[in-house]
Amino acid sequence: MALTQVSSNKCCDGYQKVFEHDSSELKCKMKFAIYLPPKAESSKCPVLYWLSGLTCTEQNFITKAGSQQAASEHGIIIVAPDTSPRGCNIEGEDESWDFGTGAGFYVNATQEPWKTNYRMYSYVTEELPRLINSNFPADPEKMSISGHSMGGHGALICALKNPGKYKSVSAFAPICNPIQCAWGQKAFSGYLGPDKSIWESYDATVLAESYSGPELDILIDQGRDDQFLSASQLLPDNLIAACSKKKIPVVFRLQQGYDHSYYFIFSFINDHIKHHAKYLNA
Amino acid sequence: MDVFEVRGRLDVIAEELASEEEEEEATDEDVFEQGSSDVSTHTQQMKEQLNKRRSKLSQKIVEMENFASNLEEIFITVEENFGRQEQNLEQHYNEVLQTLSQRNEARAAALDEQKNSKLECLYGQLLRCGQTLDASKELIESAQELHRRPDKHGFLQAVMPVMKRVEQFAGEEVDLKLGVSLDFQVLTPDLSEVRQMMESINVLPAPSAPVMNPQIANSATDTSLHVCWSLFSDDTVEFYELYWRLISDDCTMETLQEVSQLKVKETHCTVSSLRPNAQYELWVTATNTTGISPASERAVYMTVPSPPVLKPRQCVSSLNAALIRWDSGNTDPVESYTLEFGETGTDGSGTESIVAIPSCECLLQLQPQKIYILHVRAVNIGGPSDRSEPVHISTTGTFFHLLEDTAHPSLSLSADGLTMFYLDEDLPISHMTFSDNTFNRCVAVLGDLVPVRGQYYWEVEVDEDAEFRVGVAYEDTQRNSHLGGNNTSWCMRHILTPSRHKYEFLHSGWTPDIRITVQPLRIGVFLDYSRGILSFYNAALRQHLYTFSCHFLHYVQPCFALDNPGALTLRTGMTAPAYITP
Repeated sequence: MALTQVSSNKCCDGYQKVFEHDSSELKCKMKFAIYLPPKAESSKCPVLYWLSGLTCTEQNFITKAGSQQAASEHGIIIVAPDTSPRGCNIEGEDESWDFGTGAGFYVNATQEPWKTNYRMYSYVTEELPRLINSNFPADPEKMSISGHSMGGHGALICALKNPGKYKSVSAFAPICNPIQCAWGQKAFSGYLGPDKSIWESYDATVLAESYSGPELDILIDQGRDDQFLSASQLLPDNLIAACSKKKIPVVFRLQQGYDHSYYFIFSFINDHIKHHAKYLNA
Repeated sequence: MDVFEVRGRLDVIAEELASEEEEEEATDEDVFEQGSSDVSTHTQQMKEQLNKRRSKLSQKIVEMENFASNLEEIFITVEENFGRQEQNLEQHYNEVLQTLSQRNEARAAALDEQKNSKLECLYGQLLRCGQTLDASKELIESAQELHRRPDKHGFLQAVMPVMKRVEQFAGEEVDLKLGVSLDFQVLTPDLSEVRQMMESINVLPAPSAPVMNPQIANSATDTSLHVCWSLFSDDTVEFYELYWRLISDDCTMETLQEVSQLKVKETHCTVSSLRPNAQYELWVTATNTTGISPASERAVYMTVPSPPVLKPRQCVSSLNAALIRWDSGNTDPVESYTLEFGETGTDGSGTESIVAIPSCECLLQLQPQKIYILHVRAVNIGGPSDRSEPVHISTTGTFFHLLEDTAHPSLSLSADGLTMFYLDEDLPISHMTFSDNTFNRCVAVLGDLVPVRGQYYWEVEVDEDAEFRVGVAYEDTQRNSHLGGNNTSWCMRHILTPSRHKYEFLHSGWTPDIRITVQPLRIGVFLDYSRGILSFYNAALRQHLYTFSCHFLHYVQPCFALDNPGALTLRTGMTAPAYITP
């Protein structure tokens, strides 16, 4: 697949680049950001996939999160795709900020008019890794995944649905139990229709309750002053209960004073990259 | 010992010094030739050599000072001895002179007496003659008077008695012989005593006082002393008597100790059955047929101390250092301690010693991943004691034990000092003995670490339902407060509620809000002074739980507490796993 470089900026001795390509899963042009650490010039590096939240593009993370320093130090490639297919001209795709454009929810839609393009789950778990592995000095055995809010939901479900594929997973203010919150219910009913069993197959709390596979080590940071937490959109207690029951190791940190913004991500991104580095560089 | 011998001795000391310097210069050259592979170890070696030389020089100085003071003593004794001989002779001759003058006086007195008695006698005679003369004169006068009387009648009356008196008087014999002889009797004086005295001056005198030698290095054991003395005169001596007495700084012994003695023919002797690490006062007298010499000056000798006792439970080690502690093994203080150590399996060929340790502990720098065997000796002026029983130190990781004397009385420690139990018994407060060092609210105990600002790792195994606190605290953390509740301690705390497990990471009473889904039963604790971090891990899962960022102002010690009855076991001696130290 042909990649076109959109931009390249030297950062922390490595390069923050943005590429565009024709996606076979999403049937449109997609951009993604990739940070290549200095180590990538001489050897293969592990890859951390970062999934952004509602309304974001591939730009938010690379300009606001301050991840390049830690990525450079630990020698990790960070890939940050867009949050939904763009320019598909689907009716209603721009009507709300929490459904359609910029709100792919990392599922493979089954309902019209979304099912042709809105296949973010396959894009993230299959097409993108193939693309990265063949075009960049990436170690195909060493992948981890992380994300924020909707992206946190995406990271959790990708890891839980693909035991052993990701060496580690972490999340910032994830949507832990979408079938129980307004956001999830709106998105799932639009993308997945009425079949609740399909909904459950994209719900981290439900997936945790039936997870079996290699041991995970999940790090979750949640701002205490996050408005969406108090609005019951995130529901981390449900996930924690499920993981406690199933003995899935989670360290969940409720960070006093922090909200849902990228300032929160910036504050703790180093801890997350260090968490992933422990497994990726082992 | 004469001047030549003295000079000879000084020469020997100077030679020894010079040859040692040469030797050390030679080894210096070797070191330089090896090439500076590692500047810091090279510097270390040079520093060690400098120290060795310095201590050798100061040893030499001490030797020479001792020798000088011994010489002084010898000179003083010789002077005294000759002074005494002089005095002795003077006294003898004075006695002789005295006796002679006494005899002289006696004889003169006797002659005087004779003279006086003779004179008296002659004087008496003279008086009598005078009297007789006077009487005769009187008679003659009266006769003449009578003769001149004109009265013939009266004359005839008086003349007859007068004529009778004159006849009587003329008929008396006059003794004209001297009453005394004019010769004097000369007494021969009794000079036999003087002769005896003169003869006794040539007889053998009693010996002069011997001189005690100073204690020879390494000649003492912990119960015996090898004592030597010398005689600095040509006196004949039949035997010596050595006296000794224990001197003690112990103020409880007010009365002087008994003096013991021993008869010895040689000028040296070994005294046994003594106390270790004790000072003895010794003196000696020499005896021959004439008598006993005065006592020598008193010398003080010291027995070697008893060996110390290493305390393995109080020794701590890490990857590259160890703190060794021991009990003195002697009730009175000793001068210093010497620590000897080497890697096991090298049969002492690589043994190093650290000397002049002033207190009962020593911090050593060691190589990582090795096992060492250590002994310690106590040293006083008598020499070094025997080696203590050994202790094995491992540098494969962080080793320490729980410190019993800090434990809350409700805690009991296992025999190996690695497990603590909080028993489900309600001990009455009166049965609990608290001290200044024990925790009295929090049922806690401290551990110990090598006082070096490095990296340390240990693990704690807990029961499922144990409510515990584990972490670190400053050594002087408040004993009446709870771990984590003050700013001198940091700990991870587990609380069991009816619905779930709750975890806190406490310092100054504050904790972040953290949920952990899988209960850690083996907790890894990692301390790094230089990065200022204290991290907790679920060691079984290699899962990082939490890290405190703190700048430790002082050394910290591991701390452990149980908030409800249960048990907690310490696992030490492992190197920090790879996932912790990147």
